[in-house]
Amino acid sequence: MTETRDALAATRLERLRGGLKRRYAREMRFRMYGILAIAVAVAFLALLLGRIVEQGHTAFYAHEVSVPVYLDPAKIDPSYPQGTNFEQMVAEQQLATQGLSGDAAGPMAAEMRGLFSSELKFQVAEQVAADPSLIGQTVTFDVPVSDDADLFFKGKISRDTPSEQRRLTDRQIGWLDQMEDAGRVHSHFNARLFTSGDSTEAELAGVLGAVVGSALMLMVTALLAIPVGVAAAVYLEEFAPRNRLSALIEVNINNLAAVPSIVYGLLGLALFINWMHLPRSSPLVGGLVLALMALPTIIIATRSSLKAVPPSIREAALAMGASRTQTVFQHVLPLALPGVMTGAIISLAHALGETAPLLLIGMVSFIPGVASSITEPSGALPSLIYIWENASERAFHERTAAAIMVLLAFMIVMNAAAILLRRHFERRW
Amino acid sequence: MKQTIYRSQDGLEGGAPAAGVPAELAAAAQAATDPKGAAPVGPTKIAARDVSVFYGDKQALFDVSLDIPDKTVTALIGPSGCGKSTFLRTMNRMNDTIAGAKVTGRIEMDGEDINARSLDPVLLRARVGMVFQKPNPFPKSIFENVAYGPRIHGLTRSKDELAGVVEESLRRAGLWEEVADRLHSAGTGLSGGQQQRLVIARAIAVNPEVILMDEPCSALDPIATAKIEELIDELRERYCIVIVTHSMAQAARVSQRTAFFHMGRLVETGDTEEIFTNPRERRTLDYITGRFG
Amino acid sequence: MTLTVLLIVILLAAAAFVLGRRRAARRAEALTGRARAHSRPVQHGAYAMIWVAAPALFVLIALSILSGPISHQLIQTGQPEAVERLEGFRKNAFVADAARVADGEPAQAIWEPEVAQHLAPEGARAARIQTTLMWAGVVGALLAGLVGGLVAFMRIRPDFRARNRVEGWIVGLLLVCSAIAILTTIGIIASLLIDATRFFSAVPLPEFLFGTQWSPQTAIRADQVGSTGAFGALPLFAGTFLIMLIAMAVAAPVGLFAAIYLSEYAGAASRAIIKPVLEILAGVPTVVYGFFAALTVGPAFREGFNTLGRWLVGGPLDGLGQYLMLVQNQMALVAGAVMGIMLIPFVSSLSDDILNAVPQSLRDGSYAMGATKSETVSRVLMPAALPGVAGALLLAMSRAIGETMIVTMAAGLAARLTLNPLDTVTTVTVQIVTLLTGDQEFNSTKTLAAFGLGLTLFVVTLALNVIAQRIVQTYRQQYD
Repeated sequence: MTETRDALAATRLERLRGGLKRRYAREMRFRMYGILAIAVAVAFLALLLGRIVEQGHTAFYAHEVSVPVYLDPAKIDPSYPQGTNFEQMVAEQQLATQGLSGDAAGPMAAEMRGLFSSELKFQVAEQVAADPSLIGQTVTFDVPVSDDADLFFKGKISRDTPSEQRRLTDRQIGWLDQMEDAGRVHSHFNARLFTSGDSTEAELAGVLGAVVGSALMLMVTALLAIPVGVAAAVYLEEFAPRNRLSALIEVNINNLAAVPSIVYGLLGLALFINWMHLPRSSPLVGGLVLALMALPTIIIATRSSLKAVPPSIREAALAMGASRTQTVFQHVLPLALPGVMTGAIISLAHALGETAPLLLIGMVSFIPGVASSITEPSGALPSLIYIWENASERAFHERTAAAIMVLLAFMIVMNAAAILLRRHFERRW
Repeated sequence: MKQTIYRSQDGLEGGAPAAGVPAELAAAAQAATDPKGAAPVGPTKIAARDVSVFYGDKQALFDVSLDIPDKTVTALIGPSGCGKSTFLRTMNRMNDTIAGAKVTGRIEMDGEDINARSLDPVLLRARVGMVFQKPNPFPKSIFENVAYGPRIHGLTRSKDELAGVVEESLRRAGLWEEVADRLHSAGTGLSGGQQQRLVIARAIAVNPEVILMDEPCSALDPIATAKIEELIDELRERYCIVIVTHSMAQAARVSQRTAFFHMGRLVETGDTEEIFTNPRERRTLDYITGRFG
Repeated sequence: MTLTVLLIVILLAAAAFVLGRRRAARRAEALTGRARAHSRPVQHGAYAMIWVAAPALFVLIALSILSGPISHQLIQTGQPEAVERLEGFRKNAFVADAARVADGEPAQAIWEPEVAQHLAPEGARAARIQTTLMWAGVVGALLAGLVGGLVAFMRIRPDFRARNRVEGWIVGLLLVCSAIAILTTIGIIASLLIDATRFFSAVPLPEFLFGTQWSPQTAIRADQVGSTGAFGALPLFAGTFLIMLIAMAVAAPVGLFAAIYLSEYAGAASRAIIKPVLEILAGVPTVVYGFFAALTVGPAFREGFNTLGRWLVGGPLDGLGQYLMLVQNQMALVAGAVMGIMLIPFVSSLSDDILNAVPQSLRDGSYAMGATKSETVSRVLMPAALPGVAGALLLAMSRAIGETMIVTMAAGLAARLTLNPLDTVTTVTVQIVTLLTGDQEFNSTKTLAAFGLGLTLFVVTLALNVIAQRIVQTYRQQYD
């Protein structure tokens, strides 16, 4: 009996040892899957950020060309200089320096015009309007080159591409080479990107209008969502009786946090625009929609930091004869405040990047200016990214990536502020 | 293999109980050590030499040297935080699973260093089973709980063989009669005492040589406790059992050898009867008479 | 104007506070013997302040919400016949131009003379309506505040329990704030239901749910509505489902294994690096993922498939090669894969929480049996955590279905009933955006269709969320 038992034990040990190698191989594989999963996430993040920087960094500088312009008295009406076709005039003058004029130059003028930004005509007209005595003289203007020429100087349009597939003709490339050889082309920091609103011309488009729009929107969101969200959380955590209404509100908030953002867009469209007749595309409506969206997350974050305040604090205050309200507002809420602010900032940062609802309340329209109040039509950073991504001009692609970098920079600043706040005030009970 | 019979080596014969030792404790200890002329203490199964354990910077165990005999119940007693559970966990290298834990010294099982790099913790744990304070059946059926070890270790070759192992283990754990008709219902649905016996069945299903028990009865009521103690006494015939307990009465009832730990050090070890009737150390006497701890 | 009124209300409230406090203090001083005032003067002051501010603010808020709809209604009802005959969106343009003309600006649109003659008088009438409404609101607000203040003032007596009343108001205000959550839900349901009902009266529900033809782009003129546009949404559901499936095929294994690695294998140091990386990934706005999908992943995938196709053409798999060479940027696979990446941190953080909720004793039990980590994870932890993980995956699915930007930017517009991941498909959310971002009249069937889709989306995601949250909650209670 004992012998068979020992023999059985021996075979079992044998089997155990025999399987070990296979089991460890499986263990290694399993571990590898985990590492692989993490690697996928990390690699993707690196790829995403790398690609955006790669695509976008060129948008932060732009090329200008010095153009001597003979302000031809025959073509400029001093009383209405804006009426002059300066672009054509400059193009013809440029062609003339090449020895081309008259009929031969006619069709080429359009090609020449295509090298300069339409900013040229505004600059010249403005100068002439300011100082009509310039007419008849030759003035040198530094004007942005057109978006395609800019891409060429940045090496994004290659001269090796067959000419029918590229956006610049052989002749245009020849002229650009000449200008560069003559030292008339210089690159500089693209300040316009940060100081102007949207434009249909890629080389003139900037993010300022969208940044201001997003800021106004976030202001509305913060003013509405933070007080209401904190108040709601305080009620649910500190005052709400455990009854069906409270349970209903609780379930409601959890579900609202998971409602797709585009549904909030539909709500905003139906409620704020079609029923309340608030102005379309305005930061007011955008802020209202984002406030409704941010509300559940702010409530949830506030509740968890209220929960983290130990009950002993409440008991101590109540035992001193403070009323429930006094206890909450004088003791519990101040202690929870850093956590509340951290949660609020993080949900605002999230709201800043939210795009889908903005599309439905009209923020995809082309809005060139910079809004000065919350009821004026305005763009927003994420919707600007969407608009620019959709634009057919290739020069908008690098600007889209640049706008993404601006958006991410704002989000990083907000999240960093939240982290610092948490570090600074972190309390261990 | 060292064949040390500690009882004779100590050379101490049980005399009159020392002053202050409760009579019932002494009587229980005497009964456990001297059961109807049954097997005496076996040969040394595990030998620990200068074992220290560190959790990060904190040292939890200081230079413990202890021989644990086979086919015997050895009780580790002492106040909370004295290092008895820590010592227990060094014997199947469960401390490996705690980040920052470090074990120094030497622990031999059948003359083999269990901390050696070449020794596989998986193999070791298949030979050294463990039962925890709180019953922790897996959220699976009773059958699957017991079959867990044979399955992961690939110990059986056929369904019938596996079923045989499960039945035998449940029988040895004294649970078969109670669960035979509901082997496929959830293990978590059993009572606390049944769960603990299920966990014991799970441990013996892989046919271990040593069973470590970390306060196995502290979460149970007295009736369930009595059943487990009875079971431990039966299991002693086949296994080397080490039990950590808070209850002096339990140590006296079930163990033949007792080791008293205090502040991370082994204070005294000897036959249970000796320890409870005539301890050599003042601290041991103080503890068993309830003056601290 | 609203600001001025707000300022006045604030001043009035402050005055009520000061006066109320003084009155309470005086009356308390007049007490003799052992009598003591119940509440402190400050609390009486606060009580008076609330009674001034609350009614006035209530009127102001109600006004700012309702003035839009009311004035719109009033302006619409009294219009001359020539204007009444205009189509809906022309009528809106007329109202806007009338306001401009009344302000002395030129009209933006060109109007026939018989309509144009009404511009100036209609503009003036609209301005009158708005001014009247505004003044009514201002007077109403101030009146409400004064009456409220008076009521409060009469009540100030030493035995009046001002503190309890003030606290009652505060708690009431908090309750109102949390009720906004419910109001939001009601608002969502109402706004979706109202317009969706109008849509479903034009397009029968079965046709919408099971029709296989989706081409709403034909509704150009108002009288054409519904007659020629096809609103069978089945291809959209199929597209949504396909992209969700691809996304889950990426997110579920990767997210789960990331969670398992984080909770069971990673040491404190690597956790400290990996967690922030996942958080950053979770914080990247979806429009950025969309940009990446459209301009990087899409072209790269197309290039890859086209190359593969070129390689296969002429071989035994010639047909497949021909097909692969024609694959476009906007395939379901691209949108689905990028969405899957987006969901990785979502799945992994939820699953991480859920794995951590499994009691340590189960791990100990398994390790003590000699199980390796992978055996412990796959045989003990995963079965134990299964309900929680299932809940997490359902939540991720709901996210994938409702996600808009990635699909809008990287999936196509072609409504095709296919499960081929290399095909261009469209989704419910893409169509909502497309239907509502064009320049068309709001009440056309085309725009109402967006609300029908929105309602469907809301119902499906809500069901998924409710089920998932139930499962996760029951799971958590099991180990609490």
